[in-house]
Amino acid sequence: MSNESLQTIKKILALVFINIMVLLLSGCWDRKEVNDLGLVTAAGIDKISDKTIELSVLLYIPKSAGSGQSMNGGSEVGDAQTLVRSAKGVTIAEAMSKLQEKLPRHIFWGHTEVFIFNEKLAKKGLLKHVDFIIRHPQLRERSQLFISKQKAKEVLSLLPPLERDLAAVLRELESLKVGMEVTVKDFALMVLSESGDSAVPWIKMLPPEGGKKKKETIAYIAGTAIFQKDKMVGKIDDSITRGVLWLRNDIRLATVTVKPKGANGYVSLSLQNASSKLIPKVDNGKWKVLLKANAEADIVQNTTQLDMTNIEVIKNLQHQLKKEVENRVKLALVHVQKDMKADIFGFGDTFNRKYPDLWKRDKYRWNEIFPNIEVTIDLDIKIRRQGMNSVLSAIIPEEVKQK
Amino acid sequence: MIEKGKISGSQMAIMMNPAIFATVLLLVPAITAKHAKQDMWLSPIWSSLMGFLAVFLAYKLNKIYPRNTLIEYCELILGKVLGKILGALYLFFYFHITGIIVREYGEFVSGTFLPHTPMLFIFGTMILVCSFAVYGGLEVIGRCSEMIVPVVLFLYLVIFIMLLKDLDIRNMFPLMANGLAPSIKGSIVPQSWFSEYILIAFFLPYLTNREKGLKWGLISVASVMFFIVLTNFTSLLLFGNLTSTLTYPVMIATQYISIAEFLEHLEAIVMAIWVAGTFIKITVFYYALTLGTAQWLKLSDFRPLVFPIGFLLISFGAWSAPSLQELSHFLSTSAPFYLLSLQIIVPFILLIIALIRNKFLRKKETATG
Amino acid sequence: MILDWKKRMRKVLFKTSDKKLPLEQTDEKALTAQDNLSNSLQENISALKSIYSKCPDVIFRTFLIGNSQKAVLIYIEGLSNIEEMDKNVLSALINLESENWLDYSVLENLPVSNIKQVNKIQDVINQISTGNPVVLIDQHSQGVTLGLAKWEKRSIEEPSAESVVRGPRDGFTETLSVNISLLRRKLKSPDLKMFSMNIGRYSQTQVVVMYIDGLVDQTLLEEINNRLSRIDVDGILESGYIEEFIEDYPFSPFPQVLNTERPDVSSANLLEGRVVILVDGTPFTIIAPITFYSLFQAAEDYYQRFLMGTLVRWLRYAFLLIALLLPSTYVAILTFHQEMVPTTLLISVAKSREEIPFPALIEALIMEVTFEALREAGLRLPKQIGSAVSIVGALVIGQAAVSAGLVSAPMVMVVAITGIASFSIPRYNAAIAIRMLRFPIMFMAGTIGLLGIMLSLLTIIIHLSTIRSFGVPYLGPMAPMKGNEMKDVLIRAPWWSLKKRPRLTGSGNTNRQSYGQKPGPAQEDEQEMNKT
Repeated sequence: MSNESLQTIKKILALVFINIMVLLLSGCWDRKEVNDLGLVTAAGIDKISDKTIELSVLLYIPKSAGSGQSMNGGSEVGDAQTLVRSAKGVTIAEAMSKLQEKLPRHIFWGHTEVFIFNEKLAKKGLLKHVDFIIRHPQLRERSQLFISKQKAKEVLSLLPPLERDLAAVLRELESLKVGMEVTVKDFALMVLSESGDSAVPWIKMLPPEGGKKKKETIAYIAGTAIFQKDKMVGKIDDSITRGVLWLRNDIRLATVTVKPKGANGYVSLSLQNASSKLIPKVDNGKWKVLLKANAEADIVQNTTQLDMTNIEVIKNLQHQLKKEVENRVKLALVHVQKDMKADIFGFGDTFNRKYPDLWKRDKYRWNEIFPNIEVTIDLDIKIRRQGMNSVLSAIIPEEVKQK
Repeated sequence: MIEKGKISGSQMAIMMNPAIFATVLLLVPAITAKHAKQDMWLSPIWSSLMGFLAVFLAYKLNKIYPRNTLIEYCELILGKVLGKILGALYLFFYFHITGIIVREYGEFVSGTFLPHTPMLFIFGTMILVCSFAVYGGLEVIGRCSEMIVPVVLFLYLVIFIMLLKDLDIRNMFPLMANGLAPSIKGSIVPQSWFSEYILIAFFLPYLTNREKGLKWGLISVASVMFFIVLTNFTSLLLFGNLTSTLTYPVMIATQYISIAEFLEHLEAIVMAIWVAGTFIKITVFYYALTLGTAQWLKLSDFRPLVFPIGFLLISFGAWSAPSLQELSHFLSTSAPFYLLSLQIIVPFILLIIALIRNKFLRKKETATG
Repeated sequence: MILDWKKRMRKVLFKTSDKKLPLEQTDEKALTAQDNLSNSLQENISALKSIYSKCPDVIFRTFLIGNSQKAVLIYIEGLSNIEEMDKNVLSALINLESENWLDYSVLENLPVSNIKQVNKIQDVINQISTGNPVVLIDQHSQGVTLGLAKWEKRSIEEPSAESVVRGPRDGFTETLSVNISLLRRKLKSPDLKMFSMNIGRYSQTQVVVMYIDGLVDQTLLEEINNRLSRIDVDGILESGYIEEFIEDYPFSPFPQVLNTERPDVSSANLLEGRVVILVDGTPFTIIAPITFYSLFQAAEDYYQRFLMGTLVRWLRYAFLLIALLLPSTYVAILTFHQEMVPTTLLISVAKSREEIPFPALIEALIMEVTFEALREAGLRLPKQIGSAVSIVGALVIGQAAVSAGLVSAPMVMVVAITGIASFSIPRYNAAIAIRMLRFPIMFMAGTIGLLGIMLSLLTIIIHLSTIRSFGVPYLGPMAPMKGNEMKDVLIRAPWWSLKKRPRLTGSGNTNRQSYGQKPGPAQEDEQEMNKT
């Protein structure tokens, strides 16, 4: 090889090496090692004063299971695997930066599943805080919102006996659909809807069982907080929430207990496959909504002596069941529609869809119209099955004989 | 001819699909939603008219000048001086547009996934990969698209299916509450994207079967229309009124997927497939630009230009807009006029002049002959 | 100047003056290799002896034909069939009873099946080197060479690298004639044709190109001929040398020709219009041109039923992706996209990584390099302990590394799965390509995460789209899309539906079987059964 070609080759190689080095050294600007992250599974926001809020985060700190054991998958849930830290600020973002000062790990929002807002804060308006959640690229709109009775900070520091941490507890509870399920996206949609009122599940701490430490308990969904626009105006308990769920077509789990006429005892039925529809109607300037719902019921427990295989008995039961559910719905309407005047059922949207021109004209009067909307309930509940076995009705004839 | 490769009509259609769809997917649903609200799924249908028109114009022009691309027949139609000026205008236009596309890509990747990585690096890596493809020529681009695009589209459909359970059809109503106007207003911005179909004027000369060019072009427009309708539909049914407030509705929709608590957090996968689509888009534009420049400069081969144009594109990317908001603003206001004028109106005028010239020439021939 | 210095050193060391190759020796009086044989036996013998000086294994057996005529039998010990020579040549000639002056034709009547005439010294040399003895007679300037080559060779065994569960178990050996005969046995048509050439200055290796006339493209044949005749090297010891000389893109990690030890694979490819290049001295034949998908087809796919063939093929494609991308994906997700991992999994991974001193990328690199080293080392070990050591080695080292806190358990899992996935690739050269490509992708993943993986993958796809193997686009039937041929790419269509040959073939006749081949239960039999 001649000198010249050697020189050019050297130059090319040098350039190549420099480029490669630049690629590697300039390094991975966005690199985050897993162990440098503080995984935030839940966040809570409390009101400190009119201007300031306190942000508490529930961090999940993985503790190493000890070298040499990882092959056997030893992951003992040690004592303090979760950690709660708080900081104050005027906005969540500011509080977060102050919080980062106190944490040796990088706050990682990618796995945050739960946001808990304190009642008092909710009364002042939630939307400005929810803005942080929607804006942040890492936070997911599927995280769930809760309003808590006690301070969020305290709720977060609970140590649930069954689940990994409180966030998991709340997520599981909500997925069971005992109350409303409201994600950040749902909340934002509700606020942006035609009527603008929203609802968020309301939690409170369960008192610990005897013998357990004060913190070894969970918070459970005790009802729903009702908002006008984004300010909380009141709350309803879990039985009224059921009625609300009927109106929103969100029923999944429901057990109804009726006392059949002319019998001693109760019959409990579990409702399945429930669905409902809202049908709006405007009659001579009178706004009405028809709630059409249907469900199937299975008999779960029968403490009366009625024979469940008797068709007449079933028919009566169905009738009573309908009445019972209707009562629930009416209760919900009384509290939410008339008392709190919050349209969390989506009536506004329903009217807009069917009567858009009318809606455009009258929506500024919504506050007057809404409490006076007549709601008729048309339920169709069929009792489908009566379970595996029926003990009581089998022994009744003998008892009668004996007597 | 500078480009010796040949592609088939179907390859061209497959290439052009992400050339339009890849970035529309990102910003446009939000822009459309602002104007069209719940009729946003109708808007792409109106916008696609512009796409059909662009395909038609390109095809007709190609019939008259079967072997020449846009830049070349600018000169043939308008004469040397004017033609060169128009060609230069087009080149600058495509530089600008490609720069904008690169910028959109960079903003998206930077904003959602890699906030600390310098934008130049993000541009640079993508343009480097695209330059390999452009260097290989039209055939390589065609083959790559045939491999990549079906996979990308298929995964996109899978995402749509995974979101089915979260879609609320009531968000679609009331249908056309304010008549057609909102959906048409919302269609203005997407149609500037559809007018990009004039790019096929660069590819038609290299088709193996030129008569099918029209058919495949139209199929391509229809498929893009279908996908954009699907996108808008999904955003609408998932987010309702929220769509206009979201910067990247599709991205957020993907963040929303949750199936069996296992298939969650899939947005990184979306990014990966979307990057593949953008790669094709940038490559197509980059190639048209390089080929056009080589033809304008009457060079014998476009290859030496590939890397220099790549560098220029990186700087155009940085230069095209000061921030994402301004970019978005530009796209929703001035861009439609900018794009429509150069991609529909000018070719239309060119076509008319060409037809007149032909008739004139033929008259001359029949007169003398 | 440097080169002159080397020449001078050589002269000093070896005490030679401008040493030339033996074939170019100049000597005024004696015959050289270029000359024809002379009439004088003595001249011929002395010329040959000086050419073959210091080669005691070249035997010159002088004898008298029929007690009157001088002749010589020249052969190389160990390369020729001594018994046959003694019986049919020496005894036949020595015991010939004739009074007349014998003519050259006596040689042509020797009871040997393969006799050729030689006229030049170079021919004699060539024939002797291939093991065919040469007989020269005094007073004649022609001699004969007898096809009596025989040497120790390996028997036909199943190739170790390409074994099947179902299918023929014969494999090529190092002897060219045996290999050609194996192919002849599979394809008995006289359309199976070949041409041969000798390549290599010192090795004079015989290289034979076989094809089926009427199926193969003429331009392909010409191209292969051109490329082969262009080769001018010292020696060809393996088909790999030839492969490197004739491929289109030497710098591509992907092979552009296939190499196989199995005659059934070679025959199948011949039937599809490809060309097989056989090289003497090695059992590995070269098949050209190929597409990317040929690298992922194993012979067995075609012998089992099509459902299994299809599913196994899909598994292979999936494993291809895993082998290429798994470590990089692991690194990328853990370093950049932690939100993608389900929360519980992330927590357990984080737990196991607590005490690891290295970042994910470095850990991955260490493990991958170690695994590759183990694999290479495993190849050199004797068969009995080889497999045991590599498995035990991998497990023990993995376990020890985890215990020592050097790497994390998930990483060992990832590396193990990647290794297994890369074993599922049927062709060794493709597997090497994939293993090689893993590393740049890992670097890119460590730098910019999933985006890096995508960009690397795109680069690989661009590269695959660019290369061609002898004019056939490497990505074959998928891009540019040819519907008919896709039947053998993604799925393995049943034999009765593969009606057309792939487009490679130059002929117009693309039907490889007649229509109506799909099997089904016999109609008439069923009716009869129903009657009774």
